[in-house]
Amino acid sequence: MKPTLEMAAPPGACAVSVDVAACGTVRVTADMLPALRQQPGGSLPAAFLKHTDDQTVAGLAAVYQAIQRGGLTDTSFTHWGVLAAPRFLGRSATASALHRFAAEGAWGISPHLIPHRSLHAISGTVSQALHIHGPNLGVGGGPNSVTEVLLAATALLDGGQVPGLWVVMTAWDPEPIPTPQGRVAPDSQCGAVALAVVPSRCDWHGLRIRLSPPLPLQPITPLEVPVTELTIFGLQQILAAVLENDTPSATVIWSLGSGGWIEFRRGGDADAPANSQRNGSVARNGSPHPPSSVPVRPRISSNLPESNGAGAENQR
Amino acid sequence: MSHRTAVWITGVGAATPLGHTYDTIADNLLAGRSGVRAVTRFDASEHPSQIAGQIEQVPCPPEWDAAEFSQLIRLEQLTLWCCITALRDSGWWERRREVRIGLALGVGAEWLITWEADGLQGGRRVYEPTSDSESLVHRVQRQLPISGPVISVSAACASGNYALAQARRWLELGWVDVCLAGACDGSVTPVALAGFGNLRALSRRNADPCHASRPFDKGRDGFVMGEGGSVFVLERADDARRRSARAYAQVAGCGASSDAHNMVIPSNDPEPATAAMRQALADAGIEPSAIDYINAHATSTPVGDAAEARVLQAILGAAVHKVPVSSTKSMTGHLLTAAAAVEALTCLIAMERRAVPPTINLDDPDPECDLCHVPNQARAQDVRVAVSNSFGFGGSNTCLVLQAV
Repeated sequence: MKPTLEMAAPPGACAVSVDVAACGTVRVTADMLPALRQQPGGSLPAAFLKHTDDQTVAGLAAVYQAIQRGGLTDTSFTHWGVLAAPRFLGRSATASALHRFAAEGAWGISPHLIPHRSLHAISGTVSQALHIHGPNLGVGGGPNSVTEVLLAATALLDGGQVPGLWVVMTAWDPEPIPTPQGRVAPDSQCGAVALAVVPSRCDWHGLRIRLSPPLPLQPITPLEVPVTELTIFGLQQILAAVLENDTPSATVIWSLGSGGWIEFRRGGDADAPANSQRNGSVARNGSPHPPSSVPVRPRISSNLPESNGAGAENQR
Repeated sequence: MSHRTAVWITGVGAATPLGHTYDTIADNLLAGRSGVRAVTRFDASEHPSQIAGQIEQVPCPPEWDAAEFSQLIRLEQLTLWCCITALRDSGWWERRREVRIGLALGVGAEWLITWEADGLQGGRRVYEPTSDSESLVHRVQRQLPISGPVISVSAACASGNYALAQARRWLELGWVDVCLAGACDGSVTPVALAGFGNLRALSRRNADPCHASRPFDKGRDGFVMGEGGSVFVLERADDARRRSARAYAQVAGCGASSDAHNMVIPSNDPEPATAAMRQALADAGIEPSAIDYINAHATSTPVGDAAEARVLQAILGAAVHKVPVSSTKSMTGHLLTAAAAVEALTCLIAMERRAVPPTINLDDPDPECDLCHVPNQARAQDVRVAVSNSFGFGGSNTCLVLQAV
């Protein structure tokens, strides 16, 4: 039967906020990774990271840094979940595998390739390191990994099944060109951001991430406006900008490209309840306008189009 | 915790070693046919395991140029076929521009597969990062086109259940009007087959492919790789009712946990996996005794099948000899990232056809796997509540509860 457009009145699209209880950031050159692999900052069995990818090492190091900085050393993460978003995990290992396959055939392929270079490899490793028995999931894996994992994490945390989530994002900058043996230039930089995110609280004055989705039943022309990728290095700058800015309500807004956006700001704004419905408008080009019903807050920067009064710092 | 809004499955698209349409897959599953053969697409003579559940050719959607489609890697072919077929099946294909349609897709090794496919054809994409400018889900979003959010998710074999859970959540939040959710995997490739083979995870019953995948059987010696995918259309029940949509089932409950034990070996402790099942049943408001059918994860590995049996015994208690359990991996092989999604489809088939598919090759059940098996032949049974377990590499445990509408 041909469907009609008589949809039930949809629930107002819910914006979801999560609070960042701790944050760790790592940026190391390739030649520093062997030492980090031996000691990423936490207590682990010997050779625990022996076969893991470099991004896994950086990601776990960022988690341990977050635990230290955030005062979470006595926190049990048993019931937490972990979402990890690498970017092109396993490029150098695949280059090496293809080289060995050409030379040696099937027997030249390492049994560690698939378990430690699949999209879920980092989340699985972090779950073991921290004894996490909640969900563990890889998200993204390519361009736009950061926005994908934030979408997934906010939705998952808002579902109420876990008390907290580790969100671990990793990438190289720039993406290195491997040798056939799987090596990268020693000065290639591998970075990671690890966020311990928890359900939003009214009395929270630390970093808050708020995800606002596209509006229902608006005519949307998909993706006519190219969207700048939010990389982890851009995210590191955003987090620093929000946390270091003296303005309590400083905000950075990032368009999701499908009509929604993410806000990075400090918590505690009385005019913006943590999780709420909203009304707003959607521009014909698919880019969202921040809702007019929400007071305009001073913005540090945004990747929204200039017509929204946003800065152009994040455009490439 | 129960969710606020009922979510229904209103469309299905699939491609499997048992066929590429709902009816063909259903007929073959219930007839107990095996889709496992000797690998023919490449030379596997030097591989430890030389058998797989393969798809000869992924059908080209009518909207696509056949020559162009044939140039895509298998993973992308599967994704397009499954998404478009599901949208057509649901009735949303012609109207896709008028609502927010999202996509949550289980994809475990997109870039490994892409670089391998290119490299084996003489390309150098793995050495050219600038070539990797767009991921599969974003390309599908642009090409279909659909306007809602898109994500790739991976928990190995459990990916599809996570995708369904995420899609359900987006619908509850009002982030989408309709959501595609499922998983695809095109990993029957030279390098992947070698990797799993060298991990000693695969059956080496190369001389007898149809009988190699033997979940719960004493003679099992490892899993058989498969390829394929299944994608569903999910929408809020109220919306589906209003447009008189066909409803396959309600996504009634989702549960997830982690072993936190080992990247490839399941934990000896059944508690984490048991917790995932309990969470899903509680989410659905269903008692174990109300389950009509369990599609087991059981991959035909000596360790994994026995571990799952312990979980099912813990959950079902006295009902363990009443609730039928089968593993359809015996027929399809293990579709890896796509396994959970294809097995969710199997549950829908059981509901619609009122029959439980068998575990084939179950000639000598392992006493460590003492369950209510459905050996070798389908069994007529009303199925209103079906449960699908999927436990993945990385220690992911998921459970999906589907309920007839």
